[in-house]
Amino acid sequence: MRRSRTVALTAAAAAAVLVVTGCSSSSKSGDSSSSSSASGGGGANAATKNIVNASDKKGGTVTFEMKGTPDSLDPGNTYYAYIYNFSRLYARPLTTFNPAAGEEGNKLVPDLAESMGQPSADGLTWTYKLRAGLKYDDGTAISSKDVKYAVERSNFAPDVNSNGPTYFHDLLVDNDTPYAGPYKDKTGDLKSIETPDDSTIVFHLKHPFADFDYLVSAPQTAPVPQAKDTGADYVKHIVSSGSFKFESYEDGKQATLVPNTNWDKSTDPIRKQLPDKIQLKMNIDQATIDKDLLAGNAQVDLVGGGVDPQTQAQILQNPKLKASTDNAYGGRLVYLAINSKVAPFDNVDCRKAVQFAIDKVSVQTAEGGPIRGQIANTVLPPDIPGHQDFNQFETKDNKGDEAKAKDALKACGKDSINTVISARTERATEVAAATSIQAALKKVGINAEIQQYPQGKYLTDSAGAPQFTQDHNIGLMMMQWGADWPTGYGFLQQIVDGRAIKASGNSNLSQLNDPAVNQLIDDAAVNPDKAAREKIYGDIDKKVMDQAVIVPLTYFKVFLYRPDNATNMASNPAFSGEYDSLNIGTTK
Amino acid sequence: MTASVTTAGNEPEAPAAASPAKKIEGRSLGQIAWTRFKRDKAAVAGGVVVILLILLAVLAKPIESMFGLDPDALHQDLLDADLGGLPLGDWGGMSGSHPLGVDPLQGRDLLTRVIEGSWVSLLVAFGATVLSNTIGTVLGIMAGYYGGWVDTLISRVMDVFLAFPLLLFAIAISTSLQGGAFGLHGLPLHILVLIFVIGFFNWPYMGRIVRGQTLSLREREFVHAARSLGARGPFILFKELLPNLVGPILVYSTLLIPTNILFEAGLSFLGVGIQPPQASWGGMLQDAIRYYQVDPQYMVVPGVAIFLTVLAFNLLGDGLRDALDPKSN
Amino acid sequence: MFAYIIRRIFSAVLLLLVVSAVTFAIFFLLPRVAGETADQLAAQYIGKNPSPEAIAAVKQNLGLDKPLYAQYWDFLRGLVSGAEYKFGPEPATCHVPCFGYSFKNHLEVWPELSKRIPVTISLAAGAAVLWLVSGVATGVVSALKPKSIFDRLSMGIALAGVSLPVFFTGALLLTLFSYEWPILDNLQYVDFTDNPLMWARNLILPWISLAFLYSALYARLTRAGMLETMSEDYIRTARAKGLVERKVVTRHGLRAALTPIVTIFGMDLGLLLGGALITEQVFSLQGVGQFAVQAISDNDLPKILGVTLLAAFFIVACNLVVDLLYALVDPRVRLS
Repeated sequence: MRRSRTVALTAAAAAAVLVVTGCSSSSKSGDSSSSSSASGGGGANAATKNIVNASDKKGGTVTFEMKGTPDSLDPGNTYYAYIYNFSRLYARPLTTFNPAAGEEGNKLVPDLAESMGQPSADGLTWTYKLRAGLKYDDGTAISSKDVKYAVERSNFAPDVNSNGPTYFHDLLVDNDTPYAGPYKDKTGDLKSIETPDDSTIVFHLKHPFADFDYLVSAPQTAPVPQAKDTGADYVKHIVSSGSFKFESYEDGKQATLVPNTNWDKSTDPIRKQLPDKIQLKMNIDQATIDKDLLAGNAQVDLVGGGVDPQTQAQILQNPKLKASTDNAYGGRLVYLAINSKVAPFDNVDCRKAVQFAIDKVSVQTAEGGPIRGQIANTVLPPDIPGHQDFNQFETKDNKGDEAKAKDALKACGKDSINTVISARTERATEVAAATSIQAALKKVGINAEIQQYPQGKYLTDSAGAPQFTQDHNIGLMMMQWGADWPTGYGFLQQIVDGRAIKASGNSNLSQLNDPAVNQLIDDAAVNPDKAAREKIYGDIDKKVMDQAVIVPLTYFKVFLYRPDNATNMASNPAFSGEYDSLNIGTTK
Repeated sequence: MTASVTTAGNEPEAPAAASPAKKIEGRSLGQIAWTRFKRDKAAVAGGVVVILLILLAVLAKPIESMFGLDPDALHQDLLDADLGGLPLGDWGGMSGSHPLGVDPLQGRDLLTRVIEGSWVSLLVAFGATVLSNTIGTVLGIMAGYYGGWVDTLISRVMDVFLAFPLLLFAIAISTSLQGGAFGLHGLPLHILVLIFVIGFFNWPYMGRIVRGQTLSLREREFVHAARSLGARGPFILFKELLPNLVGPILVYSTLLIPTNILFEAGLSFLGVGIQPPQASWGGMLQDAIRYYQVDPQYMVVPGVAIFLTVLAFNLLGDGLRDALDPKSN
Repeated sequence: MFAYIIRRIFSAVLLLLVVSAVTFAIFFLLPRVAGETADQLAAQYIGKNPSPEAIAAVKQNLGLDKPLYAQYWDFLRGLVSGAEYKFGPEPATCHVPCFGYSFKNHLEVWPELSKRIPVTISLAAGAAVLWLVSGVATGVVSALKPKSIFDRLSMGIALAGVSLPVFFTGALLLTLFSYEWPILDNLQYVDFTDNPLMWARNLILPWISLAFLYSALYARLTRAGMLETMSEDYIRTARAKGLVERKVVTRHGLRAALTPIVTIFGMDLGLLLGGALITEQVFSLQGVGQFAVQAISDNDLPKILGVTLLAAFFIVACNLVVDLLYALVDPRVRLS
């Protein structure tokens, strides 16, 4: 759920904890002239299709600005999509996403590894070969043992590196006596990762997992030399394996990167190493960031949640500015989960009544209009491979159909339903969307009371705790979901697999436990053929919609501004539509 | 909300109690005060507005249903979806049917929401005032009358309370209880929590005033007289002393209410008060701040509502104080 | 005098201890009122799949498994002698004064918090100067010419001032001076030592919005106090003695009228220094108040505790200073 955390941040930023900044974005026209005089921007949405301002020009300083602070810049201790993206500048994982726009950006390419992983015939063993001649910024050689160590520290020491996901922990075979992690067990190691030599690494899995190449694209596989690891303090002096290295790091304020002289272009087909310096400025107000982008003083808004509503209105009213924007999908679905364990929604007809009743146009407007999301009718967003276009519950113009909804309600044996709809306090647009849903449901006799819970506890204590939803009659839950990697498995497994249901921290909010769906997920996970897998994910999507447990509302979109003095700008769907950090340069 | 605490702390020397007061004299004093009050035009205006506001708050629900107003009704046809859901037209979409315009994203009628917000604001402010003044009065009288260790204990407790960063506590408590507590959730819980956090930490201000008044009263003849007639502590406290404290308590309450209105708005503004979709003035302002450049109307409406309400209470409070305080002329 | 100072300082420290203990107890009890167990509290510090061992480790590090008084004692000891937390390749040290250690981002609370103090001090001090000068001056002039046009006008404005929420005034100022007429745009906090001019320029709007509120209050107070003292007998005596009116006002009237104002000023300043939450929020100033709001929304207990205690410290310290000032000026205070 990496990406939805990004949304959490931006939504919170934009909404609940309001921030009026001292520096409102200034006059609409004044600043644009400087940026529009630079080389042609390529028009609106250009960077969602191609790399805009493609260039090999070296030099200059590229400035990233961000609202708030990241969870950590430590590649082994982060779960934000934008750090997954940014960390590739200084930390090379085994594989990574192609620094490109649109579908090209969703493609995996080998990075530290010389080629994609080699699965064994039974799918239980994955082997990677590292490239030759890899070096850290201090000139020492990179060993596969450092990759192994990086996985151990990021997955088996949750009290130190608590931020990242623990897929490896869950997927890899554990030692006979459970491995306590490198900090507590200083001499031992995880036996299921083997390093027969310094350039080979072998992973032993509990069960076959076709998406393993995607899993190793996480920054958790970027090498960390054990001797240099100081646990939680590692973030203060990260050892670089990428094209840039840290010159300085000041917590909560700024990080400065400079070219890594020990990085060798011949070992790296995807990185360019263009600017002389890369600055990451933290804790900047969104309005300041917007203003700096418009003036060309900053090249990228790192968080990539999009400009704030006021800047958005100004940009949209100015065609010249609008030509330098990208309105990209973020690989996320905004949806309403229907709790199939809370009466009367244990009856599929009652669920269908909700499906038909909801006015999705109203929901879309409440979320900020088409610019913030396209109306959705499937679980898989269009930028996830395997997405198929279909609509099980058609209503005219997606505005809801009272008659059909009432029929479904009758079929369910009800005239009216009293239920609770949950949403996250900090997300103003989520609450606004819930309000729209409440109004639409009321028309057909479903009275939904809106209940808000703090987002920090939404999945652990309230919506994500099945017993709690049972006790509080929470039949409907607002939710947003994005995959940790752009495949059907990465997107669907956590939210529709019945075996993913947990007593706390549950993200299968509907508590769907359909044997047919579970079986299809297993089939896909072991199927080595990509096209076949993608077909299965489309089928799962349909099966889930047959059960009517998820009401897709919108495919989330971000609205980004791209300064004309920034080069190699590509909105990469693998990173929630953010601009790919890897090769951004500047003409400034 | 720094402001609130200051106003509370700033309460100038409470009016000296209205003279020795036997029954007949007391009434005539009341009449004098009333005559004085009537002469103060600003105070009367404030009083009229306050009465209207209370009527509005009490009748908010009936008014809404009578005119078919729904504070949560969506009018998204009045919004420009392509511009991110801002109201169409100038001045936040003002029109005949929406005299104050509508809000962005949902197009809800601002006038109706301001009306709906009035009862929340006033209920919380009154509730908190009653709470803090009850605690403050009871403990203040006890401290002042019994003196000795009771006084020391209560005074030290007041010192501790006054050293608390009030707003910080209020935020922390409201945040942790937001999801549900005491078997309550939603609006009733939020209102109760707000009344508690605003009222509970504010009582020492009242306590100090009442204690000071009691100290001076307990040496008066009528208390001595009551005591010599064999009256006991509680009787003296509540039958003899309390009636003489009504003046200062009334004045102080009138001045505490606007402070509490601002406090409630501040908490809702910080996102820890009343939660949407329930309309509240502070909540509307919080929401509106996101649009202050492109839709300033949205910010002005709840801002002016808060301003007028607080102003009216302050005018009334000032007037009451002047009227009840013989020294004020 | 010396004995008095010692006595006052001693009782201030005692007060702080009590406040910290109560704060501690409240934050200890709050989650339990909301129905959370120690395990749940610990779990939120350790990512997605907290194992029982990891939970136990955090519980131990945070001391969540100990009784309340022991946790409080540990906290006090940490303030004086620092603390160590065992995890990672080497134990993390929390240096003196250890206000706690945030397990959310693995940082000591105090260095993070102390970074914010200059911002808040700049905000509070600047606004305080502004409101003291303007408020008291307005109040005095109004009191000397009651019912004059100046009096009516300024008291009208003052009444409006106390009736306006600071977040509304602040937002209005921003709209006007930062957006409509962008003469004060791009307001980012600049350290006084870096560039005093920019420091003042970028703080002027927050100062004004705070000062507007407070000077309104102080003008009303000063006026009331002045009116009262000027009608006292001793003023009449002073006048009768043939003292120049200016001296009557400054020597006698103002001095008496200012006494309660100084007390209140101490309280207000103390409260503001503990974080002008709303003003900092409106103007995006990264001060103590923002730190508090962030800590609370992150539910990061050590940070919340740290900032609460700092705020309490400022309140107590400001009151102490005021008391000591009184004692210096007025010998009677010392003896009471």
